Amino acid sequence: MNWNDVLSFARGPLFQAALLIFIAGMLYRLVRVIGLGWSRNHVRPKKSQTKGVVMSYLKGILIWPFVPWVKNTFTKNPIIYLAGGLFHLGLFVILVLGTAHMLVWKSLLGFGWKTLPLPIVDWFAAATIVAMVVLFINRLINPVLKLLTGTAEWLNLLFVFVPMLTGYIMTHHLFFQYEVLFSIHMLSVDFLLIWIPFSRISHFVFYFFSKSIHGQEFAKHGVRA
Amino acid sequence: MIATQQAINMFVQETGGWAASQLEACTRCGMCAEACHFYQSSANPEYAPVWKLEILKRAYEQRFTLVGKFKTAIGIDKKITDQDVAHWSELNYYACTVCNKCAMVCPMGIDLGTLLHTVRSGLAAAGMVPEDLETAVMKQVIEGSPLGMTASVWDSRLEWVADEWEVDIPRDVKGADTLVVFTSIEVMKFPTNVAAIAKILNAAGEKWTVSSSAREVVNFGFYEGDQEHEKLFMRRLFDGAKELGVKRIVVTECGHAYDALRFHAPNLLSEANDYEIVHITGVMADLVKSGRIKLQEGFYDNVGTLTLHDACKIQRKGGYIQEPRDILNIIAPKSFKEMTPNQEEAICCGGGGGVIAIKAADPIRYDVFTLKIDQVNKIGANMVTMTCSNCRLQFTDCMDHFKLDWKITGLAQMVADAMVE
Repeated sequence: MNWNDVLSFARGPLFQAALLIFIAGMLYRLVRVIGLGWSRNHVRPKKSQTKGVVMSYLKGILIWPFVPWVKNTFTKNPIIYLAGGLFHLGLFVILVLGTAHMLVWKSLLGFGWKTLPLPIVDWFAAATIVAMVVLFINRLINPVLKLLTGTAEWLNLLFVFVPMLTGYIMTHHLFFQYEVLFSIHMLSVDFLLIWIPFSRISHFVFYFFSKSIHGQEFAKHGVRA
Repeated sequence: MIATQQAINMFVQETGGWAASQLEACTRCGMCAEACHFYQSSANPEYAPVWKLEILKRAYEQRFTLVGKFKTAIGIDKKITDQDVAHWSELNYYACTVCNKCAMVCPMGIDLGTLLHTVRSGLAAAGMVPEDLETAVMKQVIEGSPLGMTASVWDSRLEWVADEWEVDIPRDVKGADTLVVFTSIEVMKFPTNVAAIAKILNAAGEKWTVSSSAREVVNFGFYEGDQEHEKLFMRRLFDGAKELGVKRIVVTECGHAYDALRFHAPNLLSEANDYEIVHITGVMADLVKSGRIKLQEGFYDNVGTLTLHDACKIQRKGGYIQEPRDILNIIAPKSFKEMTPNQEEAICCGGGGGVIAIKAADPIRYDVFTLKIDQVNKIGANMVTMTCSNCRLQFTDCMDHFKLDWKITGLAQMVADAMVE
């Protein structure tokens, strides 16, 4: 088998097909959820709901991650809190601010942007891999997570872990032939893209629903979001 | 199986975009477990709020999602059975006070409390409400009160309170501004609260009244989650309010009743928005602020250490977070000390959500209270005040059970005693 052929298939037709399934699948899920209907809420709010929603995002994205010690969830389980946070931050840095990925975006969107130097992205990648291992172990031993975790949750972790690991090894030109790693990287990304609409990794879309609802509800009740 | 199908139908009926988008947002990270006092005190993973929701999530997935349908078809996901419904009935009614603390920690911001209420609606539709709770509900349907406060009992109790504490309680006054609705817990078990609230409103010159038809603010239908019962008990109040032509309804020291009337009634009965619905804590704070009642500064500074227990439905879900503190900072500036965590992050008493009405849940309820004991002991408080009679019932019961000698009181009572005539 010629790895170059596999690679061009994985980053060519398969990637495009996967992307299509990803977009169509996510759109379907969005439309289906929205289509279930939204009944009007007649409760008179105690505080401004717009402000509540804004605060809900500000706190979730900009405040809690930087002052985690005020959260009880952090004091009770700091490693998991940090691992979860670092994983998401790392993912953002790698996918948006990494040069290689920016070029993929550029080929899809038609425009690019300034990226971070490779060593910085590289450190984030390493940290993200460690964070994933920590989250993996936690899922194995935490009694609540044991109860909540089924095949789908393990596959979620696996499907994100493989592209992450192969990407990291690739940039360091370690162990395997470059084409082999690149092929596996692309194949696993394709699988991941196809998998997302069928899994809870899709939470990045529904986050904007639940977080808005959170801000709105808490404002309605007159409580800080 | 018919009962189970009724539960599933109710889950499906209640799941619009609002609930579905949140069920979809859950990443199954399990963080909500750390917030739950039932999980904290027992370490039982099944008490994780997300797991209490599992039955609703399964009903939703199996009915609405392709993945869910596929998984059920090939047997990975099992259909909801009678045993499941019975099991989740215990999880939800015995080990959840619907205190909504889980919603505070969810990284996705999911409003778990409301979804947990939906779970109860399904369980109630299946007739799987614990017997003790159901008995209390039926008692409220028939007698007008779960604590047996019939019209004649109410009549004689109020007469006795008015007599004993020498306070005027205006009854069925047409054209009054404010209708005050007490809980049977106060009337039957904490009558000093009734006298205190009457004293405060009289001193402020408020044009208020109680109603003999709208005499019970407690809504046990709200505990079980049966919408028809919820509406029946709410309608009794609104009918009474309409009869007297009042503008606002004051809920006394009762947590779930305030939550039900202020935040659920408008979506169940259109007449709910004809009235301003406030909690007595807000009324007292307003009266103090506007100078209509005067409190003696530092009145409670010689009682040792005093702390405030935040009620889930009045503080975290009701928004009256600053009001009781403003009052305590006047009447007990030196002796008042906060527990940690407090305010909207406070730990629930463990008796709410109907839990205290279920005998079989007693061991769980006492376990939860040990968290409260730790909190109070940490600051060495010997007096605990609160704005919810259901919490107060849990506290007084636990004083007996754990042989503790803290003084337990309601905020209204403290305010009434500290008033300058």
